[in-house]
Amino acid sequence: MIRERPATPVRRTVRSVRPGLLAAAALAALAAAMPWLGVSSYARTLVYYTAYFLTLGQAWNLMSGLTGYVSFAHGALAGIGAYAAVIALNAEWPMAAALGAAAATAVLASLVIGATSLRLRGTAFTFATLFFQELVLLVVRKLRFTGGPGGIVLSEILPVWLPHVMMMVLAGGASIAVALLCRSRVGVRILAIKNDEVAAAAVGIDATRLKLVLFCASAGLAGLAGAAHGLFAASLYPDVLFSVDVSLVALAVPLIGGVATAAGPLAGAVVYVGIREVLQSIAPGLHVTIVGLLLLGVVMFMNEGVAVAIGRAAARWRGHGGRQRARAAAGDD
Amino acid sequence: MSLTLACQLVMNGLVFGALLGLVALGLALIFGVMRVVNFAHGEFITLGAYATFLLVTRLAVPPLTGVPVALVLGALAGWFIQRTVLSRVSGRPELEVLMVTYALSVVGLGLFSQGFGGDFRSYAEGPTGNLRLAGVVVGWRSLSVLIVCLVMGALTLLLVQRSRTGLGLRAIAQNRDASAACGINVPRSEQLAFSLAVGLAAAAGALVSLIGTTTPTVGHEWVLDGFVVVVLGGMGSITGAVVASLALGLIHSFASYALDDSWARILTYLLLYLAILVRPHGLLGRRAEL
Repeated sequence: MIRERPATPVRRTVRSVRPGLLAAAALAALAAAMPWLGVSSYARTLVYYTAYFLTLGQAWNLMSGLTGYVSFAHGALAGIGAYAAVIALNAEWPMAAALGAAAATAVLASLVIGATSLRLRGTAFTFATLFFQELVLLVVRKLRFTGGPGGIVLSEILPVWLPHVMMMVLAGGASIAVALLCRSRVGVRILAIKNDEVAAAAVGIDATRLKLVLFCASAGLAGLAGAAHGLFAASLYPDVLFSVDVSLVALAVPLIGGVATAAGPLAGAVVYVGIREVLQSIAPGLHVTIVGLLLLGVVMFMNEGVAVAIGRAAARWRGHGGRQRARAAAGDD
Repeated sequence: MSLTLACQLVMNGLVFGALLGLVALGLALIFGVMRVVNFAHGEFITLGAYATFLLVTRLAVPPLTGVPVALVLGALAGWFIQRTVLSRVSGRPELEVLMVTYALSVVGLGLFSQGFGGDFRSYAEGPTGNLRLAGVVVGWRSLSVLIVCLVMGALTLLLVQRSRTGLGLRAIAQNRDASAACGINVPRSEQLAFSLAVGLAAAAGALVSLIGTTTPTVGHEWVLDGFVVVVLGGMGSITGAVVASLALGLIHSFASYALDDSWARILTYLLLYLAILVRPHGLLGRRAEL
């Protein structure tokens, strides 16, 4: 977990990396094995959506969380990935090629935004992403090979476990990649850009290139998440795929959980799916409003996110408990 | 293309551009004075549209009375939100303020969707009939919208460019700290700017309900075009926003005629990408502003 205060002992973060990564990999493997463990399809769907939102959230985190350049386009990038994968599979491409096409199309699409606006600082990038969603929706509804406003259907019937396993692999892989990136030298460079881009450039960091590479990686990941979800959903409707909701998920998940951390989006995805499930039975229409209020509350009062806030509360609780408990906790490590 | 047809398209473009101008004027004012990109602006357009719809269908008042009502309602809502939310986050990093207005927009969208459902709503009351001038047919409905927009736009420009209060607003836009040091009440000016801008958005919403259909996302669609205009006009430049609105209205009108509405919108957004690429600081904006 990257902290802006240099006072954090470095050794401890390094030591805590490996068990965390192992736990993440084990969790992803367990979740991926769900179709064979006799779990109810309801529980499996919940886990699936948690992983889908987690992957989208990590994709957003990779660009916007780390650099501070807010993107509203990740829903659209995922939608592009979904379309590319389904169109490729309908054209009898092998699965690997279809997934490759999904990632590549999303990366190419992201270059439209990146090339025009990443040279600039501040709001230009955010604006460019904001219009992107609308632009893609309009274009997809117009083109013939995307099925126009009626959308397209995946002609091949895939086994149920396939999109599930894919999504788990993506979610686990993305989380581990973000965790590793945060601790690498590149991660430090990115942090420098976020804190002060002019100063970062002055010490020789090529900010524009780094931002562009990150945005492409982030778009590719979003495209893959969209592709896996396209196989899960099997029928794509442009108005659903390119609705504001998906982009909202992509940024709400890391913001609620904790921006620029690897664990934050996991907490955010669990909270998000939980809220959605609870509200669906109590007040189905209020889901968007509640998520908005939650987002507002988190940004205003808990701007590091739920995960960091809980961690800090736990640390404080440990501190109040006197030395004995602290020593006991240290001994557990 | 015959001359009458051209006049007709120009007229349509002006109506669209003038409405857009009211929206963009508010966005530019908020960005100029508060340095805030107000993503929630569209929800206030929707607020004005639904308020007018309810007034006309429930209380049977003429639709144009919805304009002052929406203006006041919007100004009050803006004042409340500025007091309770935005004043608390002023001075925070750009990303956080951006997320706050975005979250407000999501809350508004959710409330309107829940309260009114996805139905398209419109009403037949209000000015009817056409005005014929040398072959150009203009509906009284559109014409009244154009006139109200021009009057409100002119009054706002007068307030900002000619009055003492407006001088304070422009001073803050130029240099916040120096203005505060000169005795300009910055928090109160911010409140005024936000209330005024949001009031204008709600009034524009009242007019939108008159010439179009009202849905929970109607404001969202308008505000996207509003952002195009604000970026093209140079962030925070009020004159730039007005000029760009009228230009976009005309482009949209002609492109809609030559192609269709969707292609006209696609063209608009592509134009924006091109503009960001070629002139990143907007058409009239100063270099340092973006």
